[in-house]
Order: sequence, then structure tokens, then C-alpha cells
Amino acid sequence: MTDMLGGLAQEVVSGIALGCIYALIALGFTLIYKATEVVNFAQGELMMVGAYVNFFIVTALLDIPMLDGALGFLLAFAGAVAFAFLFGTFLDLIINRPLKDEPVFSVIMATISMAIILRAVMALIAGPMTRLPLSPFGSGVIKVGGLFISVHDLFIISSAIVLVCGFYYFFNRTKWGIAMKATSEDPMAASLVGIPVKKVYRNVWIFSMVVATIGGVLLAPRTLLDTNMGFLGLKAFPAAVLGGFGSVPGAIVGGVIMGVIETVSMGTLSFYFPWVKEINDIVVWIVLIAVLMIRPAGILGREEIERV
Amino acid sequence: MLKLIGVEAFYGKIKALHGVSLEVPDGKLVCILGANGAGKTTILKSISGVVEPEMGTIHFDGVRIDRLDPEKIVSLGISHVPENRHVFPELTVHENLVMGGFLVREKSLLKVRLEEVFDRFAIMRERKDQLAGTLSGGEQQMLAISRALMLKPKLLLLDEPSLGLAPLLVQEIFATIKNLHQSGVTILLVEQNVNQALRIADYGYVLTSGKIFLSGTYEELRREEKVREMYLGEGKYVRRARLWGS
Repeated sequence: MTDMLGGLAQEVVSGIALGCIYALIALGFTLIYKATEVVNFAQGELMMVGAYVNFFIVTALLDIPMLDGALGFLLAFAGAVAFAFLFGTFLDLIINRPLKDEPVFSVIMATISMAIILRAVMALIAGPMTRLPLSPFGSGVIKVGGLFISVHDLFIISSAIVLVCGFYYFFNRTKWGIAMKATSEDPMAASLVGIPVKKVYRNVWIFSMVVATIGGVLLAPRTLLDTNMGFLGLKAFPAAVLGGFGSVPGAIVGGVIMGVIETVSMGTLSFYFPWVKEINDIVVWIVLIAVLMIRPAGILGREEIERV
Repeated sequence: MLKLIGVEAFYGKIKALHGVSLEVPDGKLVCILGANGAGKTTILKSISGVVEPEMGTIHFDGVRIDRLDPEKIVSLGISHVPENRHVFPELTVHENLVMGGFLVREKSLLKVRLEEVFDRFAIMRERKDQLAGTLSGGEQQMLAISRALMLKPKLLLLDEPSLGLAPLLVQEIFATIKNLHQSGVTILLVEQNVNQALRIADYGYVLTSGKIFLSGTYEELRREEKVREMYLGEGKYVRRARLWGS
């Protein structure tokens, strides 16, 4: 019995780590949706691009003797984030600006096209093979109580916590953060008080790209680096819905819950139903539908009341 | 101070302004009157840059401001309090006011402005940490005006500030506007509450279907039969109706 509980706790910890990555991607979705009412279906691909950029830099740095360890990884991390800044600006320029006053549907189509293009371009650059980037922490495991936690999972969870706290501080305590919230609530009123709305939108895309990159860099050593890893981003979408679409805390809660359910159901049910290949996916979607039946707005979402 | 010459603007595909010219002199309270859909709001939106006029020019303090972005125009000293208040509902009253002072760089100055607003509207200090969406209509209107005052504008554009408020609150809002005017702020006011608005205004323009139809002081406008009929509930047709006992 204790054995089984221990195994379950093990799965839960691993699930939280995976969930943190879902949470980061869902956060990217949510930020763009809140500010511009666009659902960015390329969010998973943005994560993939960020992970590849990080991988390329790490590989390039391997030849330099000083930089082949954790230091090199951190440098590459910084490089990937810098790239994310540029790429976010670029996305704002080619997707958000020209389509600003067009129907939301056109913008969504543009993000889907962007996802397909990014996947194809990355396959051209990186080649078709799947790679396994190594975690800078190796495959180390530490023992806490009766649990074995991989150092990389610990790194994922702590980075996610730091990032979320940073976001919380930014959105609630800084002038630019509050201005972003104000813009997403009422763009016209925001421009009337002098908030540069276009710049805010650009920053939202940059933010979302940076978060996706961090998610991708953290995820790659855990799964595999592959041009199709962006499909995993589609799981962040139900995570955001589960938490309450458009709610920032909801995205985080939804992401973590999703990760835990997925890992736990994988660890337990696949043992009993070995012939059902993707049992974890099935459970995830069943839970999503069940939650939405009870709380249509999601766990932390608020029901929109249209004012007349 | 503010001068519009031949401004034409579209609202979507509909032409809302057919060549509007008007002037707001320094320190005056000027009022635009007119029925629903006459284009009053579009005039204010053209001035503040939310709507870009197709034709005509708008000058403010000698600077041409049509074609500028709204955030540039507000930095020149024009604050627009839009119709239906448009406060940020999910931000607290305090955060709303800080956003009103977004263009104020120095933190100390921002604090001074906040205190000034709190001194003028005591209710704002009381409600400081409440979400703006939970305020009553009158309080939201006060907040919207306070937010605009955070930049100490030279010109304040007020769009239907009394809309949807209880009669007692309407009195209060008009008293506030009068007060602001007396403290030296130039105001361009759009109102449907014609009687009240004209009483505090220095000058009025009457707008019908996108054109200036009449203009003058309260006394001058009062003498116009059309104005009395259409807006003040007096005049020939009203008298005739009374004759028939209805």
C-alpha cells in the first residue's frame, strides 16, 4: 500500500513539472488573448522555435572548452530569450499590426498558417532527425523524503515559480504591467490616457514569445527536440480552458492540473489498459469535459456578463 | 485655443460630420448640443484622435493635431472623458488614477496630483482600493473625470457626463463641471441635458446631422424658436399642443 502511494506521489511530482510547462505555454496563450482577443494557435510552435534556438547555441558553444557545461547552457538560454525578443517584435509586425482591425477569424487563420510555416522552416534548417538535448544538470536525481526527484524537474518547477512570481509582480505593481492590463480591458480608454497601445501590443507578443521559449528550453531535455513538439502546445490550450480562459492564475492552475492528471493516468492506467496507447490523453479530455459541464467558465474563470 | 475648420469624418462607412467648424477659446466652457446621432461624440473623438478626420484641420494652441495618435494628443494637454465613462473595471480606483497619470514621469508629481484629486473628490479617497467596476454610475463618472484631471489638461473634453445618472447626481456633476471651469480649465462639453448645459456654458453650438446649425450664447440660443422647440420644451408647437389640452 505504502508502495503504491509512494509511486503515486512520484507521479504527482513529475506531473507538476510537466504541468509547469503547460502552464507557461497556457500563460502565453492567455496574455495574447486577453490583450488582443486573438487565440494564437502558433504558441506551441513558438515554444519549438525557442527550444531549437537554445539547442543550436548550446551546440555551437560546445567547441569552446570553458562553455560546455552549465555556463554554456545559461548563455544559450540568454541567447534564446534575446532571440525571442526579436522574434516577438517580428510577429507583432507581420501578424498583429496588419490584421489589427480585421475580423478575429482572419488573425486566427494567420496564426495557424504561421504554425505550419514555422514547423516547415525549422524542419528545413534542423533536418528531420529527432534530437535529445541534454539537461545542463545531467540526469541527476535527489532524494527528498521517500521521493526521487530529477534535478531537471526541480529546475523546471523552480523556474516556473520564479517566472510566475515575476509576472505577478509585473502585472500588479509596475506601471507598465498595470498599463497592459488597462489596455486589455479597454484599449480606447487606454489610448485616451496616453498609454501607447501599439507598443503595449508589441510587448504582449514579445512576452508571450519569451514565455514560450523558456517553456521550450525547459521541456526539450525532458521529452525530445522535434519539429513536431509544438503539438504539445495544443495541450496547453485545454489547460487554459480548464483554468478559465483569459484568466492568468487560471492558466497556471489549469496547466499544473493537466500535467498531474496526464502523468498520473499514464503511470497507473496504462498498466491496466496496455492496449490503449494514449490513455493519458483520453483521461485529460474527459476531465476537461467534466469540469466544463460543472463550471462552464473554467475553474478560476468568471462568467462574462455582457453589459447592455 | 482649439479650432476646427471644415472637419469631415466617417464612422465606419457612414459620414458622421459634414464640415464642422468651431472654436473653443481659452478658459471658456463651450457646449455642443444636438440630438442622438447628430455627430457630437464624433467631434470629440476627432479631436482626441480616436477617429481620424478625412478632411479639414484641427489646431490646438497653434499646433495641427489631426493625424496625430491619441497618446500624442493627450500629451499636448487635451484629456477626453468618453461617453459611458470607460473606467478600467478590473483595476482599483487608485490604479485607474495612476493610469490617468501614465504620462507623468516623476513619482513625486504623480503623488501630488493624486492628492489634488482626492482633495477635490473625497469619495475617491474612500473608494481607493475598490475595483472601479463595483462603483455606482455617479462614482464612475467622478472617477472618469478624476482620471482625466491627473494630467492637468488645458482642455477637457466631456462626453455626456450626466448620461444615465439619477437627477440628484446630475446636479452634482454639473456643479463639478462648473467648479472645474471656474478653477481655470477650458472645457468642451457634449450634453443632451440642454437646459442644464446651456446654463453653465459660455457658448453653445447646435449640431444637426453632422452640421453646425446654430451657435451663440445661452441668451441668444434661448431666443431661437427652433432651439426652444427642439431642446427646451417650449415654442410654437408646444404651445399649440397645450391648447388642445394634451
